[in-house]
Amino acid sequence: MGKAEKTMSLCLTSGKLLLRYGAETYRVEETMYRMAKAAGMHNINTFVTLTGIFLSFRTDDEDDFLQMIRVRERYQDLSKVTAVNQVSREFTHSILSIEEAAEKLREIKKAPMNYPVWLINLASGIGGAAFSYLIGDSFIDIIPAFIGGLITTLTLVLYQKFLNVKFFAEFLAAATGVLAAVGLETGGMVQNMDQVVIGTLIPLVPGVQLTNSVRDLMSGDLMAGVARGAEAAVTSLSIAAGTVVSLSVLYF
Amino acid sequence: MWLELIFCFMSTVAFGIIFNIPLRLVWWGGGIGMLTWFIYGTLPEIGFTQVNAAAVAAFTAAFTSHRLAKFKKVPVTTFMIPGIIPLVPGGRAYESMLAFVEENYVNGLGLSVETLLQAGAIAGGVGFALSLFSIGKGAGQRYETDR
Repeated sequence: MGKAEKTMSLCLTSGKLLLRYGAETYRVEETMYRMAKAAGMHNINTFVTLTGIFLSFRTDDEDDFLQMIRVRERYQDLSKVTAVNQVSREFTHSILSIEEAAEKLREIKKAPMNYPVWLINLASGIGGAAFSYLIGDSFIDIIPAFIGGLITTLTLVLYQKFLNVKFFAEFLAAATGVLAAVGLETGGMVQNMDQVVIGTLIPLVPGVQLTNSVRDLMSGDLMAGVARGAEAAVTSLSIAAGTVVSLSVLYF
Repeated sequence: MWLELIFCFMSTVAFGIIFNIPLRLVWWGGGIGMLTWFIYGTLPEIGFTQVNAAAVAAFTAAFTSHRLAKFKKVPVTTFMIPGIIPLVPGGRAYESMLAFVEENYVNGLGLSVETLLQAGAIAGGVGFALSLFSIGKGAGQRYETDR
């Protein structure tokens, strides 16, 4: 494999990892641009949407290269974004060679999540409980909110594993979590229902998509910004629909 | 207020873990979340509306995240997402949904407009801070004056 092919594969791998784990569009474009530039390529053009990456450049021998890849899965794992960012920073400052950088990217790709799933479940319980206190100022409702937040993420992970449909899994997770809250309310453990429901739902908020949508729109990547905004809107709608379905049980 | 700030720190750190932010950076995110909540909680007491307070708090969160990200040499998103989470208008959203479930449509519309306004205020605050940090490298101008 010549230098140009190696550069192409390195740039595309880092771009794919960044896009898959929740980086902004302009960061993906800039990272690929800088890495290709540091490898000595000219005439670099990148085009990144939410679901695919195009990259073209010209080598010193006047050969033109153009490749595109499709990015299907998108997860929220910002520690991998940070890690890829670090690799690209070291590569552009010529601390790493192409081979070392490719090896590091392979390690990042293979690495498991930064935190185990049980810790994420626990964190969503704690986050839900603490956030519900911020909303409602009532100590008694912290425990049901903790249970609700825990159940929401627990079931979200399960549904995503077995159904593999993003929005439907969020809908079902919201419905299950709120159903648990409704059950606790009927059992007489809940004082402020709104506080508990918000604590239950807050782990599902599409934070990455919302912030990235604003950032993409402001930096001129209109297509990616609108697409991310639509993703966030559909996620919010499915959460709302799931909540309404379960709340209807309460008012049946 | 102190108790609220402690709870806010806990919740922001928990959200950092939900979004898989590296452990060495999670604590900074918690600090930004506390700052955001302090502003969001104090401004209404001295006469600002809730929406204004959300905009100012979101601006502060985005501004601090940018400075901190430059200092730590990591992507800005790492700090910004947990910083903005405490501002999410969950209460209003829930009340508007409840109004729709109870077939109280007029009330529900009013509440959902309020929710949207607060979401827009957060987006506006973040966008304003971003514009400050991208002075000189933005895209899409209206007139090509420098030719």
